[in-house]
Amino acid sequence: MSKKLFSLLLCFVLGMGAAFAQTRTVSGTVTDASNGEPLYDATVLLKGSTSTYTQTDNLGNFKITVPGNGVLVVSLMSYESQEVAIDGRTQINIALKPDAQFLEDAIVVAYGTVRREANTGSVSSVKNEQLASVPATSVDKMLSGKMAGVSITSGSGQPGSTSTIRVRGTSSINAGNEPLWVVDGIPVMAEDFRQLSNVGVGGGSSSTFINPNDIESITILKDAAAASVYGSRAANGVILVTTKSGKVGKAKFTARAKYGMSQLINDRNLRPLTGSELLEYRRVCAINAGFNPDDPSSQYYFPTSLLQNGTTNWYKELTRLGKLQEYEVNAQGGNDKGSFYSSLAFHDNQGVFYGQDYKRITARVNADYRLTRTLQAGAKVNVSYADSHSGQMGDLYYSNPQFAMWGIKPWTPLRNPDGTWNMNIPENSDTNPRAIAEYQTYNDEDYRFNGTFFLEWKPIEQLTFKTTNGAEVLADYSRQYWDPYTHKGTSALFTYWSRDNRYTTSNTAAYDDAWGDHNLHVLAGQEAFIDSYELLGLSSPNVDSAIPYPTTSTGAQDEGAYSFNETSLLSFFGVLNYNYANKYFFSSSIRHDGSSVFGENKRWGTFWSVGGSWNIAKENFFQAFTPYVNQLKLRASYGVNGNNNISAYRAYGVYATVTYNNFVGLAPSRAANPDLSWELNKTWNVGLDFGFFDNRITASVDYYNRLTDNMLLSKQVPYTTGFGSNFMNIGSLRNRGLEFQIDGTIIQNSDWLWTAGFNIAFNRSKVLDIGDSEYLVASDSRIDDTTATRIVKDRSLYTFYLRDWYGVNPSTGDGLWWTADGKLTSDVNRAQYIYTGSPEPKATGGFNTSLSWKGFNLSAWFDYAVGQKVLITNGYIDDGYDMTTNATTLSLNYWKKPGDTGVSPKPVAGQPGRYFVGYSTRFLQDGSYLRIKDVTLSYSLPEKLLSSTKFFNGVRVYVSALNPYTFHHLDALDPEVGILGNVQQGANSMVKSLIGGVEVSF
Amino acid sequence: MKRTILYAMTAVALLAFATGCGKDFLTKAPVLSQSTELTMASYDGLNKATAGAYYYISSTGWYGSDWVIESEMRSGNGVKSNYKNSNRSTQGYTWNYTKDNTNTTMWAYCYYTVAMANNVIDNLEGKETSSVTTQDLNNLKAECLFLRAFAHFETVLLFGQPYTSQPESLGIPYVYHTDPAGKPERETVKTVYENAVADLLEAEKIIDPAYVRSGIADPLAAVNIYTIQALLSRIYLYMGEWQKSADYATKVINSGKFKMWTAEEYPTVWTADKGSGEVIFEMYGKRTNGTYGSWEDISYMTSPVGYGDPQVAPSLMAMYAEGDVRLKTFRTDEAGESGCWWTSKYAGKGDNAAPDCNNVVILRLSEMYLNRAEALVHGATVPGASAISDMNTITSNRGAAAYTSVGNLDIQNERRKELAWEGHYFFDMARWGKSLTRSADEYALCTMNLDVEFPSYKWALPIPKRERDLNENLKQNPGYGE
Repeated sequence: MSKKLFSLLLCFVLGMGAAFAQTRTVSGTVTDASNGEPLYDATVLLKGSTSTYTQTDNLGNFKITVPGNGVLVVSLMSYESQEVAIDGRTQINIALKPDAQFLEDAIVVAYGTVRREANTGSVSSVKNEQLASVPATSVDKMLSGKMAGVSITSGSGQPGSTSTIRVRGTSSINAGNEPLWVVDGIPVMAEDFRQLSNVGVGGGSSSTFINPNDIESITILKDAAAASVYGSRAANGVILVTTKSGKVGKAKFTARAKYGMSQLINDRNLRPLTGSELLEYRRVCAINAGFNPDDPSSQYYFPTSLLQNGTTNWYKELTRLGKLQEYEVNAQGGNDKGSFYSSLAFHDNQGVFYGQDYKRITARVNADYRLTRTLQAGAKVNVSYADSHSGQMGDLYYSNPQFAMWGIKPWTPLRNPDGTWNMNIPENSDTNPRAIAEYQTYNDEDYRFNGTFFLEWKPIEQLTFKTTNGAEVLADYSRQYWDPYTHKGTSALFTYWSRDNRYTTSNTAAYDDAWGDHNLHVLAGQEAFIDSYELLGLSSPNVDSAIPYPTTSTGAQDEGAYSFNETSLLSFFGVLNYNYANKYFFSSSIRHDGSSVFGENKRWGTFWSVGGSWNIAKENFFQAFTPYVNQLKLRASYGVNGNNNISAYRAYGVYATVTYNNFVGLAPSRAANPDLSWELNKTWNVGLDFGFFDNRITASVDYYNRLTDNMLLSKQVPYTTGFGSNFMNIGSLRNRGLEFQIDGTIIQNSDWLWTAGFNIAFNRSKVLDIGDSEYLVASDSRIDDTTATRIVKDRSLYTFYLRDWYGVNPSTGDGLWWTADGKLTSDVNRAQYIYTGSPEPKATGGFNTSLSWKGFNLSAWFDYAVGQKVLITNGYIDDGYDMTTNATTLSLNYWKKPGDTGVSPKPVAGQPGRYFVGYSTRFLQDGSYLRIKDVTLSYSLPEKLLSSTKFFNGVRVYVSALNPYTFHHLDALDPEVGILGNVQQGANSMVKSLIGGVEVSF
Repeated sequence: MKRTILYAMTAVALLAFATGCGKDFLTKAPVLSQSTELTMASYDGLNKATAGAYYYISSTGWYGSDWVIESEMRSGNGVKSNYKNSNRSTQGYTWNYTKDNTNTTMWAYCYYTVAMANNVIDNLEGKETSSVTTQDLNNLKAECLFLRAFAHFETVLLFGQPYTSQPESLGIPYVYHTDPAGKPERETVKTVYENAVADLLEAEKIIDPAYVRSGIADPLAAVNIYTIQALLSRIYLYMGEWQKSADYATKVINSGKFKMWTAEEYPTVWTADKGSGEVIFEMYGKRTNGTYGSWEDISYMTSPVGYGDPQVAPSLMAMYAEGDVRLKTFRTDEAGESGCWWTSKYAGKGDNAAPDCNNVVILRLSEMYLNRAEALVHGATVPGASAISDMNTITSNRGAAAYTSVGNLDIQNERRKELAWEGHYFFDMARWGKSLTRSADEYALCTMNLDVEFPSYKWALPIPKRERDLNENLKQNPGYGE
């Protein structure tokens, strides 16, 4: 007791002593030694004191009252600290040197930033400079191929479409697989609520409403150590998006404009048959079936006179050159108190099919303001409006041009002789997609507000309190109208209104301290969100085509639909990071989440991680190697995350309405499951980071093992319980993989800069337990025969289950199948089914290179996937089955004479042998591809020239080719077909574009 | 000072938030479907749950199609069409049931229905209010007791041997209380019948004799006292309890609520929107039914315009004398080119062009006369009634010759003719112990089980593999392997 009292007294006396010493006010500026820019938030501390310190403002200025004989310690993350003796001065300017020991400067991680050196988990990050050089239309498109282990598949080339993103494979069957998107510290909605655009194949829809140029950096947290502080939502990785903040200095404006054109990707030059090709093919089919194609009474009457009225190339008539234009202005600036960044952008993209277009306006204001020395406030607000028109794309609908263009016969005219659209197209159910584009409406309007507001308080140097509050408000209005002209004489109108509101609060307290070689970071936080969704739909049949609104449909015919759901999450979390002498790093996190989607008994879950790293290059014994290997770091981590990505209310036993005998009764639709809980994702990761020759070459390699446990599956239960199945935590699945990334500067001198990078990832999934089911079918609305793609224990997550095709009998031209007893048969019904191949690629990745000479830059990005199997069920080869439609050039490679091999069977009208049936190994192909993602040539005007104008800061012009060429050998337009490896009739395809643009800043 | 205020404000805000977010914040119950507890909490919910319990009867796995078509195809009344061949309706036709491939659907729908009924029965206690009487609750209970008995009875007909030959053999579990963890064992056929009878007797006792379910389009598709009595007549008949069967048939006949269809009416009554005259209980077919089978609906399945796989056997047609109006319940294709015949009892009520929908009669007055005639022949007595007069009540309304004497074979033939294509004959054969004999000429596409002796293990279907995998207490029927 007395000892404590003594220390207290001592402190007091010493403090008094300091106060009585001769003090003065010292002011000055802290700048970056490499470029002279002022440094903001640098700490200026009186050596030996814990209470006498200040921080630089936005202009790098500081003012501190200290004894004249003291020493100032100036420090800032990613710079070397510097000590300066005051020596009685009152004005001291300090230039900090960037710390060469760091591979890179700070990267954004969960709830803060960290020096790359201190990171123990597996993260990938991309900075704006890397992103901005390519004129991508949305964020997800920019990331493709750029990070090892992050696979991004575009849903389609349709304007405004989203992508499917998988971080280290697919980890779940029934809960979601999309990573969590966190924008400026607030987790955002991933769902796409557009009812008609048919573009929302994946998650991350919020990202498509952010102007890509507004983004400062993107970090993807891949392993448990990095992600598990996001707890129950971290199982599929986390994508952290940070938008730009204003920079200190006078206001700076940037204007950008770009213009481009696009067309459907078709690098294998597939096309429907021309009139004479089809006629010849159909005549062969008819003759092979024993019919006379010149006999008017024949079922297959294909006289040469069919061509006499000319032919139509439907592929050409249903596609067009797409157009893209985008204009943007942004302004930024700041002074010692605050800074701002704001932008306004307009994007207009006309698709490659008639009737498809997408317009988007985004506006952003990011501002922060220093209220007092210790208090800072800010807001980041994004508002967007998107207006999209599309058709029933990607589906098996006759109005889908991607379907119709292959099937309509060339001698069917596009227009009638009087110029009106031809609607007499029996082979396409009398549907003319060009007329559909003109007369029918599929329109979504999407309004979004996304705002994040923060208040940060730093009462003492080591302690930071921060509250971040976000609101995301979305409203969608959709209108689908079928006109009598194109809809067989009747009209119909469908109207949908939906909204989703989400409110999030995130509050943290962080403590950072260092003493001697010990560095400590402690963070405690709390977070909560509530999200509610509502949809109102109205079906109004037979509206008056002159007044196509719900009012002209009779009330008795109107049908309404409504849905509503609400979810909430409440969390508490903590982070503890420690390092010794920047050599040995330890990090840990824990999160306790309560989610409304789970059962009463299992609502709360705890997720955690530990990680460590060893900076070997800093060890004394390694110093001999540092001229060559300047960085060598070993990382290891283990952690447990959750996946709560299931629809609301699955835990509740409910009665749902059933209609029988014109009465709406109630029937049990789901058994209660009070034990329904999170899927668990247990991941360990080991990695090595390298830097060679002063970081001219950097590389990292990671090996991981992700085990999905307590996987949510529908388990069968005896019918005597009143139900057939119940949703339970029973399954398990493993993803294992290796990732490698290397980047290097090959040439660097005053005129030349040549860099290159390469990444590759190998992921292997394995189904460990699917309960008592023999197999599960891949549930996806885009596959019509789901029995072909199965989930089977001890195999890759998806495995094809197909009839076993042998090939064509060279002497007869008949197709042959293997039977179960090892014999060959031409009877499809006797063919055996086998498990064969998986749509999982053996390797995925990308590479890039960039060459600069003075103001010129030429860069190229490639991405690739190798070893995946793809099932082609697009019906491009029909062997004569559907004599009423056109066929494709692929059909012409058929058996013509004995001895022909490597061909399709002899085509026979009506195809009694049914060799065409899709679900056989005949149509299972190697889906490997190499895609040139983009090639960009740009030129920036020399600074010397610009400074003479006294107005411009920078002028850059560029031209980019996006997806210019793809190497592959699939019988499909495009090999990027998605996780399930299935190409269907009418499947969506990507586009290639040529874009030119100019950027001016002043 | 400013700092202190801020401190305090932050602390208070955080505290308020943390305490506000308790359990309530995380409890988000569904609002568009009703929780099981809530449904069971009020008369309104229980009433709707009772109405919902009829739902599966109308599915294609039961009266919506399979129940009728499968039994007709198994009995020899049906022939697989070669003219309309969509590969449907072959399993019943060939009796091709194995432990891996049996009628799992009916098993499922039985226990779904039983669970729906049990949920109501178990939650009725004490739900009286100022406007809900005990009688109101009893009426719901009677409906549910009926549905429980009906589902179990129909299902034991499929999976058990007939009561009349092997009452002590295994039937199906009779589930009184649906338990999510329950793995019930099979009861004997006798127990299942006795339990069904007990449920029906209680229902008869507690239901208001004037009770008719309200708010539905077709009241005859719901339970009233005559439905209960008519089903009792049938179950007693199937048990060989002749006197009881005759007595319950008499109750229905004497109620005066039902009227024989005349010879003029007979060909036209089947496609009406609502049952008339003879109908005691029926399945209401409608496109708005959640279970509507569309192309798989009985109407499309039995139509030459539709799939048309199940055709009428010529040997059944040959049983009718010329002038018998029942011949008008068969039709050929419109062009008349196939020479094939189909039933027209489900020709479609005109709710839509093909695929249409149709009601399916489950219990009707003619059956009551036939039940009583059979019972009287076997020694039951009812004052003022005789087998001959009951049989002639049928024939006089069908343009058929009157009986002057009635033997067991007459009963069997008349029952087959009158109730043809209503799903009866197969189960009648089973209880009569009548073997199936089919000529290869007439039943051309029947690749196996052309003749099936009685007795044989084949008269009881194998228990579904899926169900046995999940409930080890279920024993398989003999003859199908383990």
